[in-house]
Amino acid sequence: MFFCPHAVIIRCLLTIAVLAGASLPAAGANYGDALVVRARALALHERREWQLLLHYRPRAFGRTRSAADDPAFFNSPRGATDPAAELEATLRAFFSTIEQTDTRQNPQCRFIARYRWLRSMLDFDPARLPERPCARYERWRARLAPSRVTLVFPTAYLNSPASMYGHTLLRIDGSDQNDRTRLLAYAINFAAQTDEGNGLVFAWRGLLGGYAGRFSMMPYYVKVAEYSDLESRDIWEYELDLAPARIDRMLEHVWELGPIRFDYYFLDENCSYQLLSLLDVARPDLNLTERFPLWAIPADTVRAVTDVPGLVRRVVYRPARSTELTYRAAFAPPSEARLARTLAAGEVALDAPVLGALPASERARVLELAYDELDYRRLAGKAHGEDVPGRLRDLLVARSRLPATTPVPTPPEPTTRPDQGHRSARLSVGAGTTAGDGFQELQYRGAYHDLLDPEPGYRRGSQIEFGNIAVRHENDNGLRLERVGIIDVNSIAPRDALLKPVSWQADFGFERTRAADESRPLLFQASGGVGLAQSLGDTGFAWAMVNVGIVVSGRFDPGVGLGAGLSAGLMLNVTPRWRLLASARSLHYAVEGPGERSSVALGQSVTLAPDLALRIEADVRREFGVRWSTIGAYLQWYFQ
Amino acid sequence: MIMRKTLIAVSLSIASTLSIAAGENNVGSCGWGTKIFTGQSGVFPQALAGITNGTFGNQTFAISSGTSGCTQDGTVASSWQTAAFIDGNKEKLARDLSRGSGESLDSLVALMGVEQQDRARFVQVARDNLARIFPSSSASTDEIRAGLREVLSADQSLAVYSARV
Repeated sequence: MFFCPHAVIIRCLLTIAVLAGASLPAAGANYGDALVVRARALALHERREWQLLLHYRPRAFGRTRSAADDPAFFNSPRGATDPAAELEATLRAFFSTIEQTDTRQNPQCRFIARYRWLRSMLDFDPARLPERPCARYERWRARLAPSRVTLVFPTAYLNSPASMYGHTLLRIDGSDQNDRTRLLAYAINFAAQTDEGNGLVFAWRGLLGGYAGRFSMMPYYVKVAEYSDLESRDIWEYELDLAPARIDRMLEHVWELGPIRFDYYFLDENCSYQLLSLLDVARPDLNLTERFPLWAIPADTVRAVTDVPGLVRRVVYRPARSTELTYRAAFAPPSEARLARTLAAGEVALDAPVLGALPASERARVLELAYDELDYRRLAGKAHGEDVPGRLRDLLVARSRLPATTPVPTPPEPTTRPDQGHRSARLSVGAGTTAGDGFQELQYRGAYHDLLDPEPGYRRGSQIEFGNIAVRHENDNGLRLERVGIIDVNSIAPRDALLKPVSWQADFGFERTRAADESRPLLFQASGGVGLAQSLGDTGFAWAMVNVGIVVSGRFDPGVGLGAGLSAGLMLNVTPRWRLLASARSLHYAVEGPGERSSVALGQSVTLAPDLALRIEADVRREFGVRWSTIGAYLQWYFQ
Repeated sequence: MIMRKTLIAVSLSIASTLSIAAGENNVGSCGWGTKIFTGQSGVFPQALAGITNGTFGNQTFAISSGTSGCTQDGTVASSWQTAAFIDGNKEKLARDLSRGSGESLDSLVALMGVEQQDRARFVQVARDNLARIFPSSSASTDEIRAGLREVLSADQSLAVYSARV
């Protein structure tokens, strides 16, 4: 397997040691010394496997530090920062004679991935380092009965920013399951541990790593109920092609991680990053975590996995319960859909002649639809009546008395999967004129999607941008920072007969305005708004909102102004490759002088290639008494 | 606004009163159903939480947290698997049964080890007795299990499965 020039010498030393120490009770210590010597000679602590098992990440000045923030993860007090010391302490710990109990394990079992890897590297002599039975691990593994590993990606949550990026988890598919019984598999999840009810506190502490992140397990049906039923999120399941030995290495490592605390950082050391670290342990050649040094957006991590040739065997689409419901409601003839709605609302009784007059198969379909609608509304917290549970049961009982033969239409899989959408970082170069002056501009956006970006693979109407920086050269004003958009979120959620979501937006950052003397003062602005949106079929959607905002600038006295106003927009997918966005917005701020800040804009984007688009934007603005117009064209490249 | 997402205990609401044989840990101690998702209230706090990519996933149990309750190191103990599944899928099971097909029903049938040749009969008998298995709109897991057991034992070819509920 590997050639070891020191092996002979070490064997001699060992022989001497064993002969010399044969009568001593501390023979194990001598063998431990010998193993340490050999591990050092092989520089095992520098091996990628060891680095991955201990979650070491390179830090500044050539130092190294484990991402695990828990002394229980290390055998050496210096283990978090010293891979060699940890490896030596681990080898010595394997000689422990601790017996397994429900709350304690022998280090060989507690760190079973380390044990098995080091055993394969150093060829432990079972006579001198007796192997401990790991009954708890073996029972756990037997119950998982692992045959495959699937990366599960619940997509963004309709109109909920709490999960606009999506989430990822792993599923261990048992050999005793099939596609129809996959609910019985186990999921491995990594999440922040918190009951924090205040989103602001949650966001802030999460950004700073203020929560403990931990791995946990639960039956997959618990996760499906959470994502598909409660949160209306479509789920994509990426079945991975990992050899059984790889899966075992990963599970051995998962076992080690069970009780371990990792500080949870929303941006980088988050759920998706930690799952990639498990896949790296399974296949150290993948180097997945190294692709995400700064932040790990779940969809990007899924893309990183699908980018590896042959790693994904197949992809399964699991539409959310609300997706199915919307599809079935649209599939049903209008008269049936109406009847179902009145049944669900309790306006028509189950023994009404209008229902009895229908043929059995149609009656069955109406009852199913009525149940699904009412149950959806109950889950969404929109059906409160005390009679709702009883009505739900009555609908089911009535349905069970009809033949079981209704063909159930299932929603088709979207043509573009989330991992096939555009990449999430964007670089744009462009030129145009503003206030009669020519300019050239370079823009960088860290992540992730705006309304005009190519839509396939993303949720319609959902925009999240963070880190949007523009540098502009104006022929009159020279080279300057034009804009630093920190966050810009739009959640435009059209309403229909069934779902009545609220649309909203929030953004803040720095941008330049224009003064009467043609200078370009920088101001900080933040705004938020709520409103309603209407779908225009497959073509697009329109919305209107009420907005409030704040501007901060040295050119006002006082330097802060609060404002309020309105905004509206119209988004059209003219063709699959050509999108058009018309928008208008006007806020009035309480500052000295004219406080109006208004714009009318028309933007369009044409997809040129999967990760290349051309955007043309034109707007007219009036800000604090100054009016000017801008038109620019940009070539946009999506990457990462 | 509002998207006040209250704690929904719905299909996974585990009756805290559920208790089985004295001295045994009951399904309720699995804990994953009691609080699936405590949502954030208000639009703007959500906005901020949104950009942070967080999940509000409440932890269920640590993988190596010992063997208390119905779980052992993160997996459901064999003797509790069917009970836990019914507990976590009540509404969906009732829905699948009313139609005679569905993923939850298939999973239950597999979990109970119903032989291939008995499956159609199992589904038909359970379906015909839906109102007995789910005696009320707020039937507890225990009541559902008792109902299913009763219905199965009354059927000659399915009686063998009543012990597996």
